[in-house]
Amino acid sequence: MLRFLMRRTLGAVVILLIISACTFFLFYAIPRDPALLHCGKTCDPESLEIIRRNLGLDKPLTEQYWAYMAGIFTGRDFAVGPCPAPCFGYSFASNEPVWGTILDRLPTTVSLALGGAVVFLLLGLGAGMLAAWRRGGFVDKFLSSVSLVLSSLQIYFVGPLAIALLVYQLDLFRQPEYVPITSSPVDWFAGLLIPWVVLSLIFTAQYTRMSRSTLIEQLGEDHVRAARAKGLSGRTVFFRYAWRGSLIPIVTIFGIDLGALFGGAMVTEFTFTLPGLGRLAVDSVLDTDLPMLMGVMLFAATMIVLFNILVDAVYALIDPRVRLS
Amino acid sequence: MRSRRIRRARPVAVTLAVGALLLGGCSAGGGGASDDRGGGEPAEQRSPIEFADAEASTGPAEDVPGARKGGTLRVYQRDSYAHLDPAQIYVQDEMALAHLIHRKLTHVKLDNDGTYSVVGDLATDSGRPSDDGRTWTYTLKDDIRFEDGSPITSKDVRHTFERLFAPFITQGPTFVQQWMANKTGAAYRELLPDGPYEGDHLPDSVLETPDEKTIVFHFSEPRNDLPYALAMSGYAVVSAEKDTRQKYDKDPLASGPYKIESFRSGKSMKLVRNPEWDPKTDAARHQYVDGFDITFNHQYEDSTKRLLNDSGEARTAVSFTNAVDAGSYQRVMREAKDRTVSGYQSFVAQLAINTDRVEDVRVRQAIAYAFPSKPYLAPYGGPSGGELAGGLISPLLPGYEKDYDPFGKLKKPGGDPEKARELLEKAGKVGMKLTYAYRNSNEEQKASIAVADALEKAGFDVQRKELPTDTYYDLIGDVDNGYDIYVNNWGHDWSSISTVIPPLYDGREIQDGGSNYAHVDDPEINSRIDEVRGIADPEKSAKEWFELGKYILEEVTPAVPIFYYKHTQIAGSKVGGLVYNNDMSNLDVTKLYLKQ
Repeated sequence: MLRFLMRRTLGAVVILLIISACTFFLFYAIPRDPALLHCGKTCDPESLEIIRRNLGLDKPLTEQYWAYMAGIFTGRDFAVGPCPAPCFGYSFASNEPVWGTILDRLPTTVSLALGGAVVFLLLGLGAGMLAAWRRGGFVDKFLSSVSLVLSSLQIYFVGPLAIALLVYQLDLFRQPEYVPITSSPVDWFAGLLIPWVVLSLIFTAQYTRMSRSTLIEQLGEDHVRAARAKGLSGRTVFFRYAWRGSLIPIVTIFGIDLGALFGGAMVTEFTFTLPGLGRLAVDSVLDTDLPMLMGVMLFAATMIVLFNILVDAVYALIDPRVRLS
Repeated sequence: MRSRRIRRARPVAVTLAVGALLLGGCSAGGGGASDDRGGGEPAEQRSPIEFADAEASTGPAEDVPGARKGGTLRVYQRDSYAHLDPAQIYVQDEMALAHLIHRKLTHVKLDNDGTYSVVGDLATDSGRPSDDGRTWTYTLKDDIRFEDGSPITSKDVRHTFERLFAPFITQGPTFVQQWMANKTGAAYRELLPDGPYEGDHLPDSVLETPDEKTIVFHFSEPRNDLPYALAMSGYAVVSAEKDTRQKYDKDPLASGPYKIESFRSGKSMKLVRNPEWDPKTDAARHQYVDGFDITFNHQYEDSTKRLLNDSGEARTAVSFTNAVDAGSYQRVMREAKDRTVSGYQSFVAQLAINTDRVEDVRVRQAIAYAFPSKPYLAPYGGPSGGELAGGLISPLLPGYEKDYDPFGKLKKPGGDPEKARELLEKAGKVGMKLTYAYRNSNEEQKASIAVADALEKAGFDVQRKELPTDTYYDLIGDVDNGYDIYVNNWGHDWSSISTVIPPLYDGREIQDGGSNYAHVDDPEINSRIDEVRGIADPEKSAKEWFELGKYILEEVTPAVPIFYYKHTQIAGSKVGGLVYNNDMSNLDVTKLYLKQ
């Protein structure tokens, strides 16, 4: 297990290095000058030169990249203030420390991701199981049709519709917003309920269809038929044999989905005006804000890589046939 | 003023509209019915803003009728504040905030009767000129303090102006620095390259502070607009003792009626009362509400829907600068007109014609006749987005004449292709190729089709060239840009045409990154600019500037007027004190209160 984790961690570091280099150097391939963001009325070549110097953009690209990467481990000093490790620099746009901003936005994203995940797992797996259990029947056809409809919906369409209906028209829910769970658990829950449900709609459809198909596949496996032949009850066969066997592909996809959501659910955050990491990523692209973009990209990539390692480790627990070799 | 760049990001919509007297359609519930001009009743002619004396500059400010104290106002804003250091403030959102937390030597005050005047803010009056406007003297009021209780002295004012020369100050206005150094562009920095941080200071021949209360500006040329310029948020006072250089941008010391309790960039800001602010020293601001609870990331659609539905906290909410989105405008005016304010913004949309490439004035005039102003305005929301323009000068500026329309843009807002073709034939240029550059925004993409159609009907061969919105102004700002026509939006910095004609049409200002987008270099324009600048009498100066504008448009035609930008805002039903302020180009944030 230890060797497995060390090997995967080493691989993850290489992947993150490649992502950081790609992001950094591709950023400079974009025909936009971050210095323009800081250029006031007198935006002549002399002013731009001063700003480039202030931002450290006058140095060679490789030197800038090295300083950036070294700063993550050793920290750096900037004119706007010190930047202790892990230092991802200061935002070009807001002059705020990147790491501090990421940590500030993280609770919103984590709340959205975890709450949404609970909803779509419960609904998706539940509906998938029911459809597989009643394969070919009305319930199966109904749930399959509903999941097809849901998978074709978009958050930016359902979101405003849900607000218009549930908040403005029927006055059943609160206007979506993020309130820290530490300041009011009730407001935290009430403020995120609509985003959770809307976010989960898309995922629910995906998980319904996947869990249905893998369960049906498992129900046709030899070991399940053997269990039936032994005279075990249908419920025991379904939950103990078929369900457990169907979990591996679901856990794989769930790990990737959750990792991606931890990196920021851009469309959901935009639709519901939630200040999370997804919104931060989009803003940093629009603002030509390299330090913030690098920080968010690296954080999101780390989340995805970490969750993948975690998923691989969980395989062994789910299926004893899998060995971490 | 810097051009308006239509995009979402904060550094672009740079605006300081200094308004004028008798503003039409700018009061609560304003906006008016639409007509063929596309934006309601046209404005009347303006008079110059009065420079007020000590009596008018003495606080407290006259009460807003019906106002009461107490409560916290919710504020929905689209963009977070990138800068809090006044020296770095030059965008509309930050200027609106600055009116609440920062104070300057002068301020443009809006009275209850709609009169605007430049009053002393920290200073006892709007300034005392001598030597034909080359010297200006200011005296500080008593009992003016920063939020930490320290008194504001001439030492702070000196420090405020000296730090504007430091290399890290790159985004604020540069007028006064350039006047002090008597240099154009960024060359003013040579006067004090490190700011006051390496022990150097501005010489007494430029800035004198003989005692704790007195500040004397000395300029080489008459600077009759100084009281206007000093009213810009970018010249608000910074504490000499507590200046933390770059860090000040995140944690400034307030001098206005409110101070920052907390700020989470990109998420929220809380403002609370500043107990050190003395209303007796302030002739313009109020401190009605206990505080402001601001959240960011509210797109225009979102803030409009919340405020229009007027439920829960939205009843006590407002946005300092978010406009009513074009899609909701009709519904807002139908259902909640009494909760709206509207008025002109400082920007005028105009089509610049590259005179280096389109050399024949008859061809430029043909473009002016053919241009379809009304179809161009339609994607911007029609009447909600703007009012069709007959001239290049904003209705907010003194000297503006409302019926001025030399190319019939108001009578024939769809364009006059026949007249245009006639001129083209005379010039022998029928079929002339025109490269038309435009931004790749939704509005511009839609408008470009109408523009190309109209110009082709007149006899041009139009080649459309789409440019990225973010770099649009940098691309058209290159002298050798390779395009024939392109739209730019220009807004005045204060209530004078002197902040419009020289930057746009002075041939001596042509340079890469400059704002003479048409590259017009006409000796008559250049010499008349110098003449009018020397006129001290505001009435005469305003008239002469407008006359020069007429010469430019009719005889040289380097640009085609398109429309004057307008702005409509909505508030919750419990919000009082809704007044549109032309100086701020949005509702007056200093007059807001919560009803019972």
